[in-house]
Formats: sequence, structure tokens, C-alpha cells
Amino acid sequence: MAEIAVGIDLGTSNTCVALMRGGNVEVLDNAFGERTSASVVHFHEDGSVEVGNSAKAKVIHAPAQTVSSAKRLIGRYYFSEEVKKAEAIYAYEIAEAPSHGVRIEVRDEEFSLPEISAMVLREMKQIAERHTGEKVTKAVITVPAYFNDNQRQATKDAGRIAGLEVLRILNEPTAAALAYGFGMGLNQRVAVYDLGGGTFDISVLEIGKDIFEVLATCGDTFLGGDDFDDRLIDLLADEFVASEGVNPRNDPFAYEKLKLAAENAKKQLSIDEEVLVSIDDLMLGEDGQQRSLARTITRAELATLVHDLVLRTFKVCDEALQQADLTVRDLDGVILVGGPTRLPIVREAVAGYFQQEPRTDVDPDEVVAMGAAIHAASLVGEAQDAMLLDVTPLDLRIGVAGGLAEPVIERNTPVPIEQTRTFTTFQDHQESVQIRVYQGDHRQAEDNALLGQFEFSGFQNGLRADVKIDVTFEIDADGIVNVTASDQATGEAASTQITLSSGLDNSEIERIIDEDRTGRVATAGVSTERLGDEVAPLASPAATAPPSFAAPEASSETGNTDVTVVEDPGPDLELDSGADDDELQIIDDEELIELTQPGSLGAEDVTLDVQTPSDESDDDGFFDSAGLDLSEGDADFDLELEDEEK
Amino acid sequence: MSSAQIQALEIGALAKIMNELDYYQLLGVDPTATPAEIRKAFHASSRNFHPDANRRLDLELRNQCAQISKRVTEAYCVLRDPRRRRSYDARSDGDKNLRIQIAEAKNADRQQAKAERRGRTPQGRQFHAKAEADIKKGNLAGAIQNIQMALTFEGKNPGLESLLEELRARKKQNA
Repeated sequence: MAEIAVGIDLGTSNTCVALMRGGNVEVLDNAFGERTSASVVHFHEDGSVEVGNSAKAKVIHAPAQTVSSAKRLIGRYYFSEEVKKAEAIYAYEIAEAPSHGVRIEVRDEEFSLPEISAMVLREMKQIAERHTGEKVTKAVITVPAYFNDNQRQATKDAGRIAGLEVLRILNEPTAAALAYGFGMGLNQRVAVYDLGGGTFDISVLEIGKDIFEVLATCGDTFLGGDDFDDRLIDLLADEFVASEGVNPRNDPFAYEKLKLAAENAKKQLSIDEEVLVSIDDLMLGEDGQQRSLARTITRAELATLVHDLVLRTFKVCDEALQQADLTVRDLDGVILVGGPTRLPIVREAVAGYFQQEPRTDVDPDEVVAMGAAIHAASLVGEAQDAMLLDVTPLDLRIGVAGGLAEPVIERNTPVPIEQTRTFTTFQDHQESVQIRVYQGDHRQAEDNALLGQFEFSGFQNGLRADVKIDVTFEIDADGIVNVTASDQATGEAASTQITLSSGLDNSEIERIIDEDRTGRVATAGVSTERLGDEVAPLASPAATAPPSFAAPEASSETGNTDVTVVEDPGPDLELDSGADDDELQIIDDEELIELTQPGSLGAEDVTLDVQTPSDESDDDGFFDSAGLDLSEGDADFDLELEDEEK
Repeated sequence: MSSAQIQALEIGALAKIMNELDYYQLLGVDPTATPAEIRKAFHASSRNFHPDANRRLDLELRNQCAQISKRVTEAYCVLRDPRRRRSYDARSDGDKNLRIQIAEAKNADRQQAKAERRGRTPQGRQFHAKAEADIKKGNLAGAIQNIQMALTFEGKNPGLESLLEELRARKKQNA
């Protein structure tokens, strides 16, 4: 019997599931006939859980029990900017877990982010089971191309918790390109412009008959349709404050109403030239009387509000084209992905930038799930093979002396790939080293995302130049990172699947699965008897109620909830303490890079020797020069002058 | 022998000798191969060894394929990039050193920092050049003025800012 494997586009705002059967790709609708479901989880008083557009509608009345935009938080540390921002704007409780993890507290229960996402995935699994009448246990799940290892791993964990074998974590733009070009016998270069609810990705691909090769991908995980909504919310709120003297941002119920109104107004402006935003009794004025809001917004006004956001996407496009060594003239097509690309403002700007009309024959809300479904079918032998050759979106780096991070695998390197670097210890007779792995474009370690750290101590005790530790970095086809350390002399090895300290370890995942903590997702229309005990019972009466909000065709950008854009995530101070642990030096050609042991040397004593290529990395004198910046600056400056003289 | 058995033998053999092959041999191309030929060879190899192409093999063969796939990707990564390919071709002791590190960002970082110090805008670069001429003449005050001018065009430029600080420090020292 044919194996069933579905494709799931797990979005910030909406989630879509598709299946390829008998050569056709179908988007599977939910019990209400909606082709996408809001990525929103509502916790009922009786403990049951509701997912989708009907859950989203509950936010106005029970904001603290309704969790949206989990994708913005998954795989992040509690102290990160994104989490702080979420704490400020979401009514649900966000708490800190051990090791800087993030938990959501609802009705006296704690949930990790993978569990929340698993509830959304379980809903998709159940939708697929309703359509096929069979158990669905395999899936390809998509993520933004710019997701880092932590976010990918956490998404994969979510799949596992939902009872799905995740065949592949696939990049959204790559999935879209597959849906666009599969079986078409094309030979084209295309750009995929993917503006979602919370993230922006651009990928440039070369599509051949059965090979889809990503040439470059760039992105911004802090830019999406939600930010467009925020601009509208700000406009409406500021004017309301000016005219009525009270601030709807300070009233969670008023704020939710305003947010929904802004979102709907934005969508309506894709169709109409102007729209009237009208909210009766938005909130009480200072005199205790209800105040209402009514404001007409034109398309041109919205265009002005979001102009800079749209321009920001093109900066990212510039970067991707440059990395692919192409210009817009080299492109045969532009594919639009994500609800916000329905906005005429965005379409026109994209057409202007790329000097060609974007393709309109793919549905921006469904194309990613369809691509994932095609790949899933291909992986279980249900469809002809199409090879997807993807790249890693971010530099993979290792922490070295002076609080810096040295690249080992650069962004836009094809995956799977493996690199081995040889290191030595910083001091004679050092007993252990701390290996820190980062992802990001920054030389300063703390400006990158810390993927994980582990201590390696099984190596030979010796003088620092004699100890040689091989550290192997692997990025697999899912974009997930593995790091192994071994000592050439003793053969001792330590390995870790680099996992975020705030993520879940294997035993936690197993416990969650054993306890069936996400099994209470009550999906309307699923017959449980036929499918056996894997499927949750139809528990909540609320689940069978008709949806009170969000027509299916309006679902593309529902659930957009964030308010401000934080461009700079800031240093992750708590973990990236630079030189206060045992650290490493790289033996890399002529250059030595070192870090230090706690207490032995302060950070200011650590000198780094990567600035001058001509330097012989003379071991004496290596620790002598304090004041790294100046000496390094001088050297650099002198070099420049020499160049000029030549 | 069935085709599956032949395939298994081929995978096993390649996994064994892959450490003795250079990047050209791994991809099965000539050292004079064009970028198009290199890409074509990479695609062909991916059809055989990419993890997605081997889901139906047993675990050991899949692991071997994964090893081959990673090495082939590395070869492609080096040979498709003219700079990396040049440095690969120019490596010393080529018979022993069959691989090179693919990361070059260290250089790129350095070059970027250097370029930044020269200025990102035409006017910034112009004033930076004047400042350099001043430095050669030992006119630190003039250099400082010119860097300040450069900064008015550059906006925020940490490279130039630190240069300015250095020059001020030097001037102080001299005085």
C-alpha cells in the first residue's frame, strides 16, 4: 500500500497541509472547509485544546488562554529580544525555563514551544487523516530559509511530539520553487520572494528538469506582514490617544480589537482603494463613557506607512543576488509567497525591483505546503524524484579567543557538508575545553546566535602545542548542525547534536510523547474509532462549534499579532561570556587563535592573532600585548599605507 | 548480480577510496573542467548520493552515501568558486593535501573592515585619501580634519571612527 506522507507549511500566522496522491497535489481543507488554519492554540477550561481560526476568534475574550505566533518564539532563548517583545504584547504568560528556555503558562500548566507547535501540527495530521481515512505518520515540514539550527531542531521536535516522522525540514522558498517547477521540464533561474507573517526570505534558484539548486538565500527573521499591521495599529492608536485621551494599547481587550481591525483593513486594501475602520465602543474614556473609533484609510496611506519595510526587503534581495553572482536580468521568473505579497503595494514594488511581473499562477498561501507535499511524496516513492539541493543560510562559527567567532562553514554553502578544524588548548596541561558553536554573520561571538556549547575533556594532557583536538562540524540536509570533538592522540571522542539549552532533550520529548500532552487537540470532524488510539478523542464541545471568525478566503494573514520591529537582537549577554571558560585555539595554517581558562587570564589579556596575515603567530609575545584594538588598528593602518605606496 | 548489489558495491568502494581522491577526481571531472561541467557533475553525483536519493537503502549504505555526499558537496563548493578553485589549484604538496578549508570569511571580514576604513562613499574615500597623504607628510592635524570630513559623508562608519580615535591618540602622544 502506498505510504502517506503530507507536506505541512507551519506558518507564523497560518498553517496549511497538502498531500500528493496519484500525481495530483491537493491542499486539504479543515472541517470548516478552510484551506489554511490559523496557527493559534486556545486552551479551554476543561483542559481540551482548540486549534485554528475558531481558536483565534477566542483571543478577544480570552487573550491569556490563546497562544498565537509560537513560531516567533520557537528555538529562542528567554533573554532574546524577540521573547521580550512577545512578553510585552501578548496577553498569554511567557515564563523562563531552566537553561534560558521559554515556556508558555496557560491555566496553571507549562508548555514548551515545540509542544504548542505540535498541537498545530497535530491538527494538520488529523485533517489529513480525515481526508485519507488512514493514519498519517510522515511529513515534510517547512521552515523559513533563514531559520537557524535551534529553530529547525525545535520544529523537528514539534513534529515528533505531534506523532509525525519528519522526513525532511524543508526551506519555504525551496518548497515554493518545487511547487512552481515540478514536472514542468523547466530550465530557469527564479527568485522566490517570500514575505510571511513574521519573516522574510529571498531565495535564488536554478530549476532544471529534475534538479532544484538553491544558488543563494538571504532573509530577515524580524520582518513580515505583522509589521505592516503594527504600522496601522500605531496610526490608529496614536490618533485615538490624541482625540480621546486614552490609550487602547494599555487595555488588552481594546488592543486585540484594534489589532484585528488593522489586519482586516490591510487585507481589504488589497481589494479596495480605501477602507473604513470602525470599532464601536473600543474602550472607556476618562469620563467613563464608551469611545468608538472610525477612520478611513486609503491604499496610498498604507503604502506610505509601510514603504520603508518594503524597501528593507529589497536590501535583502540585493544581498541574495550578489551572493548568487547574478543580476535581476538573469532571472526568468519571480515567485511570490506569503499572504502579504497579495498587497498591490508589494506586488508593484516587486515588479519594479525585478523589472518583471511576478508570477500570478501560484497561490501565495498554498504554494509552500504544495511543494512540501510534492517532496514528501517523492521521498516515500509516491512521485518521481526531484532533487533539492539547498544551502545553509548562515555562517556556522566557533567561539575563539577574544570573544570572537571564527567561520567554519559560510552562508550559502550547499548542504549536506562537513568540515573539520584542528585546535589546540590555550594553556599547558589544560584539562578541558569549552566548545561554543554559533550561527550568524558577525565576528563578535555575542552578536551571533549561540547554537550550543559542550565541554570536551577526554584529550591527552600535554603542552598546549602538543594537544590536537579535531572538531568536526556537520550540517545535514535539514540544515541541522552536528558537532563532534575528538583527540587525535587518544581517540577519545565527544559528540553532540548541538541543541539549544532552551530546547528539549530527548528524554523530555519522550516524556511528552508518553504523557500524550498534546493529544488533547480536539479536531472537529475526525472519526476517532476508525483511526485507532493515536488520534485524540473528540473532547470539547467548543471544537464542534462553528467558527465565529475568519472566512477561509480571508485567512491568509490572520493571526498577525506583533507590534514593533526590533532590528538588532542585541547581545546575548548571559551566555556569551567570552573568555571566562576554558577555551580553544585554532591551528589554521600560520595563524593561531586562542581562548583562555577561567581566572587565569582576564579578557583584556587575551590577544588574538587574526588581523595580520603576515604575522608568523609567534608564540612568545602572544600574550604580551594588551589593548587589542589599538595594536590591531595600527597594524591594519600601516598595511593600508603600504598598499598605497605600492 | 542485481543492480542493487552493484550499487551497494559501488557505494562501498567509493566510500573507501574517497579520502585518496582530489576534488576533481571526486566529481569525476577534468582539472580543466568549466564551471558548467562542474555543476553538471555535481548534479549527477547528487542523484546518486544525496540523502534524499537513498532513503530506500539500508542504514550502512545510507551512512556511506552521506559521507560521500558531504565530500562531493565540499568539492563542488571549492571548484565552483573561482577564488577557492585558484587557491585549491595552488595548494602546496597537492598529492598529500587533497582538501582545503572552505571558509574564507576571515579574509573577507578583514577585507571588508579595510574597505570600510577607506570609506564607503565616493566623498568619504576622497577625504580618506587626503588624510592618508597628510599622514605620510606627518600632518596629523590635517589627517584628523579630513577624516572628520569623511565622516560627515559616511554617517556611521566604525572603521573610520576608530581611525579617527587612533589619529587623535597619536597626536596626543606626539604632543
